[in-house]
Amino acid sequence: MNYAIETIGLTHYYSKGTPHQVAAISDVNLRINKGELVGIIGHTGSGKSTLISHFNGLLKPDSGKVLVDGVDIHKDKETLRNTRFKVGLCFQYPEYQLFEETVYKDIAFGPKNMKLSDAEIKERVIRAADFVGVKREHLNQSPFDLSGGEKRRVAIAGVMSMEPEILIFDEPAAGLDPKGRKDLIKLIADYRKQTGSTVIVVSHSMEDIASMADRVVVVNDSSIAMQGTVDEVYSRGEELRAMGLNVPEITEIFAKLRAKGFDVPANVYTVDQGAEIIRSLSKGRCAE
Amino acid sequence: MDEKIIEFENVTMFYDADDEEGNKAPIPALSNVDFSVEKGEFVAVLGHNGSGKSTLAKLCNAIYEPNSGVVRVKGIVADDDEKADEVRRIVGMVFQNPDNQIVATIVEDDVAFGPENLGVEPSEIRRRVDEALEAVNMYKYRHREPHKLSGGQKQRVAIAGVLAMQTECIVLDEPTAMLDPVGREEVMQTVHRMNKEMGITVVLITHFMDEAVKADRVVVMDSGRVVMQGKPREIFSRVEELRSHGLDVPQSTELCHILGYGEGVLNVDECVEMITEKLGGAR
Amino acid sequence: MIRDITIGQYYPGKSLLHKVDPRMKLILTFAIIIVIFLCKNFFSLGVIAVTAVVASALSKVPAKMILKSLKPIVIILIFTAILNVFYTQGGATWFEWKFIKITEKGVFTAIFTMVRIISLVLISSLLTYTTTPTMLTDALERVLSPLKVFKIKVHTLAMMMTLALRFIPTLIEEIDRIMNAQKARGADLETGGLIERAKALVPIFVPLMVSSFRRAYELAFAMTCRCYTGGEGRTRMKQMKLSLLDFFALFACIAITAGIIVLNHFFTAVI
Repeated sequence: MNYAIETIGLTHYYSKGTPHQVAAISDVNLRINKGELVGIIGHTGSGKSTLISHFNGLLKPDSGKVLVDGVDIHKDKETLRNTRFKVGLCFQYPEYQLFEETVYKDIAFGPKNMKLSDAEIKERVIRAADFVGVKREHLNQSPFDLSGGEKRRVAIAGVMSMEPEILIFDEPAAGLDPKGRKDLIKLIADYRKQTGSTVIVVSHSMEDIASMADRVVVVNDSSIAMQGTVDEVYSRGEELRAMGLNVPEITEIFAKLRAKGFDVPANVYTVDQGAEIIRSLSKGRCAE
Repeated sequence: MDEKIIEFENVTMFYDADDEEGNKAPIPALSNVDFSVEKGEFVAVLGHNGSGKSTLAKLCNAIYEPNSGVVRVKGIVADDDEKADEVRRIVGMVFQNPDNQIVATIVEDDVAFGPENLGVEPSEIRRRVDEALEAVNMYKYRHREPHKLSGGQKQRVAIAGVLAMQTECIVLDEPTAMLDPVGREEVMQTVHRMNKEMGITVVLITHFMDEAVKADRVVVMDSGRVVMQGKPREIFSRVEELRSHGLDVPQSTELCHILGYGEGVLNVDECVEMITEKLGGAR
Repeated sequence: MIRDITIGQYYPGKSLLHKVDPRMKLILTFAIIIVIFLCKNFFSLGVIAVTAVVASALSKVPAKMILKSLKPIVIILIFTAILNVFYTQGGATWFEWKFIKITEKGVFTAIFTMVRIISLVLISSLLTYTTTPTMLTDALERVLSPLKVFKIKVHTLAMMMTLALRFIPTLIEEIDRIMNAQKARGADLETGGLIERAKALVPIFVPLMVSSFRRAYELAFAMTCRCYTGGEGRTRMKQMKLSLLDFFALFACIAITAGIIVLNHFFTAVI
């Protein structure tokens, strides 16, 4: 079976051909399985945004290849165009891309560009709007009349309505309050569950990634520094911190407990998991 | 008695129809708010988006005028332009979006903007600008162009711009919301240093719990009202109540709360200590 | 990434020309431009041409860059040359074929005009090569400040220019971001006829407007907070002080002007 996305020796330079030429990403070999939820973490400027902009062909590699479902996306114009619809990309602060007179029209923008039938467009718009929780009565309103959080949902629906096989989110929860953040993360996890699509989430919040990703890719210094399951990656706390990433507070607590001599695992990254471990530890001690 | 620098008395504020958030009005953004900040204090104002905390910030330095009630800054009520100007010499402000508050094309010129407006002597401006840039660790970037800086650096330039005006109090309206963890850390360290070393009163509007933990006092807002107020330890021990206001608690606090180990644990070290104590030490 | 865009054509350096006070540079450039039009014969124009070349050398801006500034005017040069050659008649006839007649006077006028235009462009681009847009704006504000008497809001104009300079890079980045977002939704910006392409700009233009208004709104808040109330009662951190160098430049320009007037007087005019 083909990979959802595969990059082979992917390299991209900034200011190519000038004395300021710097590699934004160099020789990245990455494979993303179909149906996976992959978290990409890395600090600002690590190259993670450049990397994902290659996945739907917004950027062209200076060398190397990007394969989507086994096909080189830069093979010809037609393939590239179709890739845009196959791989949905939802940028940071997507609400700033809204432009139509009504919410409905804005969500329909993508499907329209796909040249779908009106009936099909309508179906998709409603499906996407329902999924993100945009109320039906809002569909005929101007998107600019909505609150910040609602605008973001509309913008996300605008990408979901293309029903891409692969959906990429760049910092989806940026600027949201704790509740908005939680709701959005749940929304993304639900989306994957319901549609079975491949989902890639870029974030610098290790907490958010921990709560939903199957696999984590750490980008540092324009290449992939680590990849593996959440367990594998998060247990390397020291290395992560050296890359300017904050491991979740709970992981830090358990690292400190271990340092004190407690027999607890190092790969704890959600509070519930942590509570469970402490409880069983305490039970074990009472039984003694 | 300690000197009050900002004082809200029964303040109510309505937005007109179609404000910048696009709400249909008149919606009360603040209703009957009593709130005060003492000199030298570090107050964190928490609340979910749309809870009215930004309105509160904008009332502090006379950008908005309350519909009813009084806002006093060191006893001054900003009811005309002249007094509003006086208020702004006492309370400076830093906004969320670092791009939209930098005026000049060179870092040091931007920091000089405030004092220039105040009509300060050129040599004195030079001194203040250099000092302010040193204080936020941006001196070596003084000749740079702002658009080439990172978000955290831009915010620090904005803070330096306020410092150079030598205001006694600084109100920061979600200064870290658009920054990455590194930028957030830079900005928060700067803000704490200003408060501790320079004695500047800080009002920090935020929805990051870990930032509020380190404040002297936490004020929680919901639907335009002040709903909780107290020391961080008190506030963060009321986990369920905070949740009901759409907020969260730090993971350390949550862990001890779930385990029933007690409330008001604020950081990793306290949490580790608490667990050690409850388990009777490592074996 | 377009982070490294610079506006204008400033060439960083520490040459004598860079060091001249921007106000002086602005006034002198303006003066020389007027003087260029006073030149009536090749001798006086020669003085200007030499001045332009010497000044270019003094600026230490690479010759390649300076020549680049002439590129946009090549067409204008050719056009004026042709016009002059064919339409100015007089003196000895050098070439004649059917209705085309090239005369001595025509050729001289053509050369004269070309040299004049080239000197003009060279001298004015030296100003922008050696002065940052910010310094220029500042200088402009200070030089024009006497116009306040006529109720012209010089400060407001300068402030607007500064803000424009400040926000152009930000907006370019923003356009890039919006374009990428819409392309990701399948917007086709590259193909189609004129009307289709114009239509395709709507998804870019609308968000850009919305965000620009938001920025303007927030910026106005931020400026108010920093006690900005216009130019009244404002001081400036950077004082501009005239140095010996500036007076030197001034005298050089006076000497050039005097020389040109004398040369104009003693030799016959070309035009």
